[in-house]
Amino acid sequence: MNGAEPSDLDPRWLDAQFALIALQMDPAGFCGVWMRAGHGPVRDAWLEQLHATGCRVCKIPAQVDDDRLLGGIDLARTLRTGSVVYQAGLLSSADGGVILLSMAERLTAQLASHLYQTQDQGVVLPRHGGEPAASRYGLVALDESDEDEPGLCAALADRLGIWLDLRDITLAQSAQRVALLQPQEMAEAKLRLQAMSHEPQHLQALCEVSLVLGVDSLRACSAALRLACLHAAVHGRDALEDEDLAAAVRLVFGPRATRLPQQESPVEPSPEAKSASEPDDESAFPPPPQPPEETDGSDAFAGDAEQAPKDVLLAAALASLPQKLLDSLLVGQTGSPQAKVSGSKGQTMRGLQRGRPLAPRPGRPGAGSRLHLLATLRAAAPKQRLRKRWGSGRIAIRAEDFQLHRFEQHRPSCLIFALDASGSAAQQRLAEAKGAVELLLEQSYSRRDSVCVIAFRGTQAQLLLPPTRSLVRAKRELAGLPGGGGTPLASGIQTAFRQAEMLHRNGSTPMLVLLSDGRANVALSGVGGRAQAQADAQVWAQRWCSKRFASLWIDTSKQPDPRAKELAARMGALYVPMPYVDARRMASVVESLRHQQSSA
Amino acid sequence: MALSFPFSAIVGQQEMMLAIQIVAVDFSVGGVLVLGDRGTGKSTAVRALADLLPPIKVVKDCPYGCDPSRAGSQCPQCLTTGTGKLATSTRPVPMVDLPLGATEDRVVGALDLEKALSQGIKEFAPGLLAQANRGFLYIDEVNLLDDHIVDLLIDVAASGENLVEREGLSIRHPARFVLVGSGNPEEGELRPQLLDRFGLSVEVKTPQDLAQRVQVVRRRDAFERNPQAFRDEWEPANHKLRQRIVKARKLIANIEVCDDVMMLIARLCQQLGTDGLRAELTLIRAARAYAALQAEVQVDVSHVRMVAPLALRHRLRRNPLDDTGSGARVQRAVEEVLTA
Repeated sequence: MNGAEPSDLDPRWLDAQFALIALQMDPAGFCGVWMRAGHGPVRDAWLEQLHATGCRVCKIPAQVDDDRLLGGIDLARTLRTGSVVYQAGLLSSADGGVILLSMAERLTAQLASHLYQTQDQGVVLPRHGGEPAASRYGLVALDESDEDEPGLCAALADRLGIWLDLRDITLAQSAQRVALLQPQEMAEAKLRLQAMSHEPQHLQALCEVSLVLGVDSLRACSAALRLACLHAAVHGRDALEDEDLAAAVRLVFGPRATRLPQQESPVEPSPEAKSASEPDDESAFPPPPQPPEETDGSDAFAGDAEQAPKDVLLAAALASLPQKLLDSLLVGQTGSPQAKVSGSKGQTMRGLQRGRPLAPRPGRPGAGSRLHLLATLRAAAPKQRLRKRWGSGRIAIRAEDFQLHRFEQHRPSCLIFALDASGSAAQQRLAEAKGAVELLLEQSYSRRDSVCVIAFRGTQAQLLLPPTRSLVRAKRELAGLPGGGGTPLASGIQTAFRQAEMLHRNGSTPMLVLLSDGRANVALSGVGGRAQAQADAQVWAQRWCSKRFASLWIDTSKQPDPRAKELAARMGALYVPMPYVDARRMASVVESLRHQQSSA
Repeated sequence: MALSFPFSAIVGQQEMMLAIQIVAVDFSVGGVLVLGDRGTGKSTAVRALADLLPPIKVVKDCPYGCDPSRAGSQCPQCLTTGTGKLATSTRPVPMVDLPLGATEDRVVGALDLEKALSQGIKEFAPGLLAQANRGFLYIDEVNLLDDHIVDLLIDVAASGENLVEREGLSIRHPARFVLVGSGNPEEGELRPQLLDRFGLSVEVKTPQDLAQRVQVVRRRDAFERNPQAFRDEWEPANHKLRQRIVKARKLIANIEVCDDVMMLIARLCQQLGTDGLRAELTLIRAARAYAALQAEVQVDVSHVRMVAPLALRHRLRRNPLDDTGSGARVQRAVEEVLTA
């Protein structure tokens, strides 16, 4: 790499450039790249270079069908020639190259499972039997999801070695390109990579860092080791050095970190750490994390010689983290242990399906119904001999053979609980509410709905639990919910609204259950003040109503409050005063709302 | 076919390894469900299972891999080819992957399009269930499997027979397979009915022990650098394990379970309030297989103690919101009953 002067490069852009070289060298070795970036010139610049690497790049759209992906019957040619024609799948033809997956955040569970099962085994099993074809490929998942969306499905993300986030890279930074490897250089580097040896202490250091940062998956450790070797080989070394390990840690462990080191002093990038990691830039280099108050750092063992390589690596990993992630990790240390690094995609992916397929039925396509080609062929197949008497050698399909797709529509629903955990909803009520929510959760469990929990207290609402079907998790989050503080009602409705919109986009039916006394006293901006707070709440209640999502307002105050009733009316919510939260009664109200919803 | 990671080279995860060996000794224990974090070697271990199993004898060219010695359980094809001596061949135990998005056609089988198109013949093309007959059906991320496929599996796994009534086909063929599933419980729950079809269940956690992690990564790296050499290196260990399993299979027929142990098992299940009698049966079979692995002639308390968490953990009638580890509950009940 003899590119531009490295000091004016953002370290993360540099890493992204190294990822290109890694793909060029060994596309399948570390499984691939998870690229989080919006559509724009920065990503285009990266992709342009990806094409320049000389790797065979094969783009797969999110709506690819299984026959095309894995290999199967080529329907068009089959119909034309009258005999079955098979086609090779995209996955098997991508052997040795790179698969580019656009809109990876909308990937169906089905497509994702094909991709990672093929990758795990290194072979593609064609759909209709037939010989398995060996295929090893790298995967570049282009993920355009926003901050609050779950993004790429976790099972696939776990396998992809490098996680890149280009969302904060500016256009100017992306103009800097490193030189890609020439064929001659690459051949030499590949030879070096094959002979590359690693010492036990290197491996030890990598594993140690993974433990300290809370990276549980052992796949990450393997990927880091391979990338370190690759980094050394590209830089013309025959053995691993700290710099190589640091690069691997930055690319693999940094973005996966779920906690910060317990001892604070190793976190401070020491001078040698800086020289080992990428050179820093005042504006782009993320500042080192502030030590949390609870640790004083005085008894930490920064001077310990044995710790040195680990510290250097840790510093490298932390330096690669964007400030936002660091903040969330710091919060994560005090609050829930569940860092939101990997969203659960299973539920939302299920929402994407068009329903359970039913047997196709005869009919004419059009007017919204689609032709079921395979079933049509099947219907026509047994009659071919008979029809051959009149026809040519082609396959003869008559209108009577047409079969249509049918689906049993099942929109999964998601219950959003918005809990008022403020001081006015006194502790007693909060406990009652928790009990009621647990009962409802159990019911949702039996009908396999997902749930999502939002709590609002203090200055703003917090998404306690993103939509999930895991009740164990739901219960854990609820149990840890503290009470007290102001009532940021507007923020609560706003958060619920955003969740509802997202769920709706993903094909679920959102349903809100709001437990509050309606006495808003914290405005959307987070400052106190009843009048402003109430006004903000009304604005968001109105917005909720405009989307016609179903909702239920359970008024938990001792004396039913006209303000709560008015807000509920504005939201179009069913209003139920419940001075003593009765779990059974609440459950039955939710049930009736559900019925209304499903019959509407 | 790509080479799989050798079973004996897997580091740690004793419980999972034990469960897999027990199932390899005695298929009738039922399947294994492995729940746990990502990247803990769940799928590696399951795919390596094929290492442990000696090849089986099948009727030659039979799509269902029928057993030539068992006349009663044969497929329509073997039944019609006559009563005479059937030609046989050996093949490895089937290990069939069921992808999450598999269609119903692919799973149960469907009309053979090629034959239908080219010759106009109506014939059945067997699906994954037929392939898995007498072997294993592996479902990764089993808790994300589509409901309609789950329904299908529940039925077939219970009856050991796949009944196809569609597209004018009416076929009945044997589909006796061992279900092996893995998944991450944080992503969703499993239907209780499907849970019940698994004989054993294990929970795996990422090793937090540094030395163990280092070893895992080192072996994985060695495997990826040169799969064949790595497999050769581990072949003696695999071979030894295979011998042990073959021996255990022979032993198992003669292993006794005395009344005391039987009573103990019944009391244990009673205490835990498991539904039905499947728990008792599975526990007895698993304990017997474990005793056979230990080359003992009789099942004793220590064997029961060892396998009870595996066989009972997922059968507790639990409040779905109660998150005290069910493994711990079984362990406690075992201690109470055994010391009483």
